Amino acid sequence: MSNGIPLAEALARYRADTDLAPPPALTDIDALLNAYHPDHLRDSVTKLAVGANAGDNCQRELAGLLQAEAFIDEADLAGAPVTDIDVLVIGGGGAGCAAALAAAENGARVLLATKLRLGDSNTVMAEGGIQAAIEPDDSIQRHIQDTLRGGHHLGDPALVSALAGDGPEVLHWLISQGMQFDQTPSGDLHTRRAGGMSTPRLVHCRDYTGLEMMRVLREAVIQHRSIEVWEQSPAVELLSNEVGQKCVGAVLTSLLDGQLRIVRTRSVILATGGLGRLHLNGFPTSNHLGATGDGLVLAYRIGARLCELDSFQYHPTGLAHPSHLAGKLVTEGVRAAGALLINGLGQRFIDELQPRDVVCAAILRECSEGRGVRVDDQHAGVWLDTPRLERANPGILEQQFTSLMTRTHVAGIDPRREPLLVHPTLHYQNGGAVIDVNGATTVPGLYAVGEVAGGIHGRNRLMGNALLEIISFGRRAGVAATADRDRGPKKVTLEHVNNLRRALTLAGMPMTQRAPQVLPAYAAGGIWNR
Amino acid sequence: MESLSMEMPRVGVSQVLLHPDRRVGADMARWRSSGGGAALARAIQNPAAVLAEVKQADLRGLGGSGFPAWRKWEFVAAEAPKPDKYLIVNGNEDEPGTFKDRVLLEETPHQVIEGAVVTALAIGVNRVVFYTNPDLTRSLAAMKAAIEQWQASDLLAQASTALGRPMELQLLPGSGHYIGGEETASMEWVEGRFPFPRGKPPYPAQAGVHGCPTLINNVETIANVPHIVAQGAAWFRALGIGVGTGTKLYSLSGDVLHPGVFELPMGTPLRELIYTHGGGLLSGKPLKAVFTGGPSSTLLTPVDLDVAMDFDSLRARGANLGTGAMIVISEGTGIVKRVAEYERFFAHSSCGQCNSCKVGTATMSRLLDRIDTGCGTATDLTTLKNLCTMLPGSGRCHLINGAVQLLDSAFHHFPDEFKQALH
Amino acid sequence: MTTSNTTATESGQTPDVALTINGLAVNAHPGMSLVEAAWHGGVPQVTSVGCLEGVCGSCRVMLRRGKEVTVGLACQTFVEDNIEVVFMPPASAPQHHYEISDFKDGWDIHARFHKIFPEASRCRHCHGCDKACPKGITVENGVALAAAGRYREAGEAFFECVMCELCDAACPELIAPAHVGLFSRRVTAHFHLRPPNLIHRLEELRQERMETCRDEDNKK
Repeated sequence: MSNGIPLAEALARYRADTDLAPPPALTDIDALLNAYHPDHLRDSVTKLAVGANAGDNCQRELAGLLQAEAFIDEADLAGAPVTDIDVLVIGGGGAGCAAALAAAENGARVLLATKLRLGDSNTVMAEGGIQAAIEPDDSIQRHIQDTLRGGHHLGDPALVSALAGDGPEVLHWLISQGMQFDQTPSGDLHTRRAGGMSTPRLVHCRDYTGLEMMRVLREAVIQHRSIEVWEQSPAVELLSNEVGQKCVGAVLTSLLDGQLRIVRTRSVILATGGLGRLHLNGFPTSNHLGATGDGLVLAYRIGARLCELDSFQYHPTGLAHPSHLAGKLVTEGVRAAGALLINGLGQRFIDELQPRDVVCAAILRECSEGRGVRVDDQHAGVWLDTPRLERANPGILEQQFTSLMTRTHVAGIDPRREPLLVHPTLHYQNGGAVIDVNGATTVPGLYAVGEVAGGIHGRNRLMGNALLEIISFGRRAGVAATADRDRGPKKVTLEHVNNLRRALTLAGMPMTQRAPQVLPAYAAGGIWNR
Repeated sequence: MESLSMEMPRVGVSQVLLHPDRRVGADMARWRSSGGGAALARAIQNPAAVLAEVKQADLRGLGGSGFPAWRKWEFVAAEAPKPDKYLIVNGNEDEPGTFKDRVLLEETPHQVIEGAVVTALAIGVNRVVFYTNPDLTRSLAAMKAAIEQWQASDLLAQASTALGRPMELQLLPGSGHYIGGEETASMEWVEGRFPFPRGKPPYPAQAGVHGCPTLINNVETIANVPHIVAQGAAWFRALGIGVGTGTKLYSLSGDVLHPGVFELPMGTPLRELIYTHGGGLLSGKPLKAVFTGGPSSTLLTPVDLDVAMDFDSLRARGANLGTGAMIVISEGTGIVKRVAEYERFFAHSSCGQCNSCKVGTATMSRLLDRIDTGCGTATDLTTLKNLCTMLPGSGRCHLINGAVQLLDSAFHHFPDEFKQALH
Repeated sequence: MTTSNTTATESGQTPDVALTINGLAVNAHPGMSLVEAAWHGGVPQVTSVGCLEGVCGSCRVMLRRGKEVTVGLACQTFVEDNIEVVFMPPASAPQHHYEISDFKDGWDIHARFHKIFPEASRCRHCHGCDKACPKGITVENGVALAAAGRYREAGEAFFECVMCELCDAACPELIAPAHVGLFSRRVTAHFHLRPPNLIHRLEELRQERMETCRDEDNKK
C-alpha cells in the first residue's frame, strides 16, 4: 500500500463543510466483491487435504493451522497432574460463561479454563446489542426469516429456529442474572433496528451491551459454588478415548509456568471464540488478543466436521489510525446515523449503507487504486466523516456514541473536529464447528458454542445475533453436556492426534507448522516457544 | 495486631529507665520517694537550661528516626503559640517485634509524664497529649491513674505557673492503626480524624495540631529527659558505647532463649544482646538473620554480629536501628515466610491515600504469599524485583520505603531461598 | 502522548521514546500504547493483555513518572520518556460470596448487602479508589450510595466499570468497590427490571408451548 495520498496532505485537503457529489452508481456488485473482497482474493482459498472436511474450501492460512502438527506428544504428559471434573468449558467469554452456568445449574461440577482473564473476550467489546423478537409486531418467525436471509440462506434452519426461539427466554435469564438493558419511559425494553432486520429487534444497554453482559456473567461464574475457574490456562490439545473417537478431556497449559495439566471429563464444551488475531490475508482485526482460532484447530484434529471455512466478516470501518487502536471498530451505527465515507481526494465512492461486504470491497478498491489516505508503508484507509455528521446533528457523537468518544479521547483525537481514518478489519468467523441444536459437534463428548461453532449465520451474520447465540447455545450445550452420564473407566489418549498425523503423512503434508497458535507471534514475547 | 502480646514482656537488663526504683507503676508517692520530680524542680527553676542540656546530651528520637530530638525542640521553641503549642508523646507502638513503650507507660508512667512536662516547659508547650496504643489496656490504665495524680498534685500547678499559662495533660488512645504512629498521622487523630499522614511541608513544628506548633516525640525519648536534666549531659553521654549516647531499650524476640526488653548502653553489639542477654539461639542453632527496626529495614546477618547497635553505626551498614526491635531468626526458619508475613503487615497498614503504597504493598504481599505457598512463578519474582526498583520514594510517608527495603534486603541476602520456593 | 492526525508522523521520523517495561529498557515510537511498546520491545511474559481498547480491564500496570507512581491500563496509556512500567499480576479471587439466585425477594436486600460486603460501611475516605480508577468513576461515592441502600444510583455510578479491579487493590478496608458496584447493578436488574413487552412475549410463548403439548397428548 505504498501509493495513496499522504495523511497530512489528505487532512489539509479535508473540509467538513463542502458539498459532496453522491457516490457513483454501483453497477456490478459481484464484480466489485470478486475483485476486492478478501474472501474472493485469488490464492486466499485452498482445499483441505485431510480430516473431516477433506476436499472442502478453506482460507489458506487457516488450512495451514488445521493441518498442522500438534504441540504435544504422549511423553509430554508423563507426570502431568490430573483433574477430574464433570464438564470442562474451554473459553471465558460470554458463551463459555453461559455454558458453565447452565451446566452448574444442572448439578455438574464445572471447570472453566480460559487462555487469558475470565471475561477477556470479544463479548466484552460488543457494542450494538442482542436480538430478540419481543416487540408486539415482531415474531420468532420474522427473526428466523431475517437471520436466514441475512446469511444468504446458507444457515441451518433448525439452528436458526432454536436461536430465534430462545431470544425472549435468553433476555429473561440475563435479567435474572442481573443484566441491565435500556428501557423506554413506559418500562419496555428499548429496541433498535439494525442492518438486515425487518423490524426493531435489537435490545441494548447503551453502546456497552457486551460489557454489561460480560461483567454480569463473569461475576456470576466467579460466585458460583460449583464452577472452578482457571485463568491464563489455554488448551493445547483435546483428549480422546482409546480409538480416538470420543472426547474425554483436554490438556491445558499455563501461560505463567508452562506446565501441562490433564483434565478428564464427561464432556468438553469449546467456547474459544474466533480467529481475528490470525490476521488472515494480512488484515487488522477488531478481535481481542486471544482470538487465534484454537478451538477450530483442536476440534478438527479430534475429527469434528467444520463448515464455511472460507467465509469471514470484514467490518468496513476499523480504525486505521492511531496505531494502538488499529482494527478496532467504529460501530456501524455511525454510518447508520449518516456519517459518510470519503476517499483521499475528498470524494464519496460508495453508498455507505450497502451490506458490509460491499462497503468493505469498495474501501479496499479506493486504497488499492491510490485514492486512499496513506499513514505509512503498511497502513492506509479512507475518511469516516464524523465532523460532517456532528455539524448536521450537534451533540450526536457525545450522546449516542459514548464508547467511541471515550476511546478516541484517550488518543487525543476528537471525532467531532477531525474525520476518522478507517480500513476494513477482520471481525467475525461466519463458519465453525458443525453443531446440532444442543451445540454437540460431530464428535461425541465435544460441544462447541459461540463464534467457534458454525451453521447459524450462513455466510453473513446480522448484528445482535452473536450475543444471542452465545447465551442461547451456550446454555443449550451446558445442559446437554451434563446429561451425558458416562462414568466408565476413563482412558485418555492422544490417539486422534496420531490418526491425523497418519493422514497428514499419507497426504504428503509438510507438518512443519504447529498449532494451536495460542497467542499472536507479535504478542508472545517468548512465552510460547514449546 | 496479633503480634501484640498482652503479656508484659520480660525485662532483662535495666539501667536507667527501667531501673527497679523507677518501676513503681502509678504510685506517685513511691515515685517521688525515689527521686521523682527532681528534674521538674530543676526545670522550673531554669527552663531555658533544659534544651541546652538535651542538646549537649545528643538525645535522639528513639521511636525509629534517630533524628536529633533537640533539633525538633529548637524548631518548636522558636515558634510562637498559635494560640497553643502541642506535645504529642507517641506511644502508638504497633509494629511487629516492638514492645518497649508499653513497659515504660505501664511501669513508669510518672517518669514519662515528668519527661513530658519538663519538655513542655522547655519549649513552651501548654497542651500535652499522651497518644497510646488503644489495645494496651494496662498501659492506658496506668497512665490514666498517673495523670489523675498529677492533676491533683502540686507538680502540674507549679509547671503551669512556670509556663505562665495552664498546662493540660490529655490521655488519648490511638486509632489502632500502625500508620497512626506516623507523626503527621498522629496529628490527624488528635484532631479527631482518621490518621492519614499529611504531606510536608508544612512541618509539624510550624503548623501541626489545629495549625499550632507541635512536637512529636516517642515515649522512650521523652522518658530520658528527666534523667538528662537531673544528672547532666555528660553523665548521659557516658552511658553509651562508642558514638552512642544514653541507653536504648532493645526489644528482642524470635528464636532466642530469653526474649524480652533489654535496656543496654546505646551501641551495644548485636552479639552481646543475642548471646549474653538473650541466652543465644534456640537449640543452639546458628544465627540466620535479624529483622531490625520493626521491621521496615534491611536485614542483619551473622557478619553484622559485632556491629554497634546505635543509629549511626547501623546506618553506616545500610541498616536502621529503628525502634530497637531485633527479631532474630535461626537457620531453619524460612525467610520467605517471614518476609511474606511482614509485607502482609505493611499491606494491611497502608492507609490508602497513595495508590503506589497501597497497591504496591498489596501486590508485593500477594506475590510473596504465592511464592511462600508454592504457587509462585519466575514471573512473580521478577515482578517483585521490578516493584522494588519502582516504588521507593513514591509515597506521602515512608511506609512504602520500609516495605521495599525489607524485601530488597531479603532478596539481596537470600536470593536462593526465593528461587527454591518457585513453582 | 499522541497526538491527533495532524501531528502523526510516519514511524521512524521522530526520535524514539526510551522507557522501562518490567525492568527492561525499551525504545518505542511516540504515540505507541504501552502494550504496543511491550510487544515492540519484545518484553516477555506480558500475557495480561486482552481487548486493546480499554474495556476488558486486563492490562493493569503501575507507572512511575518522576517520583509519582500511579496505576492504569496499558492499552490506554501512551509511551513517555523515562516512564517506568510494571505489568501487575492478575487480580486475586474476590473474597465476597453470593449467588443472586439465593435472594428470595428484595425486601431483605439491605441486610444481605451488609452481610456480603461488611466492609462497605467502613470507608475511611482515603480516595484511593477514585485515584485508581482508569475510567474516572466516582468510586467512593458509588460505594457510599450502595452502603446507604441506593443500589440503582450506585450501579449507575459504576456504569463504565470494566472490572479491572484496580479499586479493589487500592482499598485499605478491602471493600472491593468494583464488586459492590456490580452487585448494585445486578440486584437492580434482578429485582426491578420487569419489561412489559418481554413479559408479554414470554407468556405468549408459554401458552404456545402448552398448546403444542396438549396437541401432542391428544394425538397419543
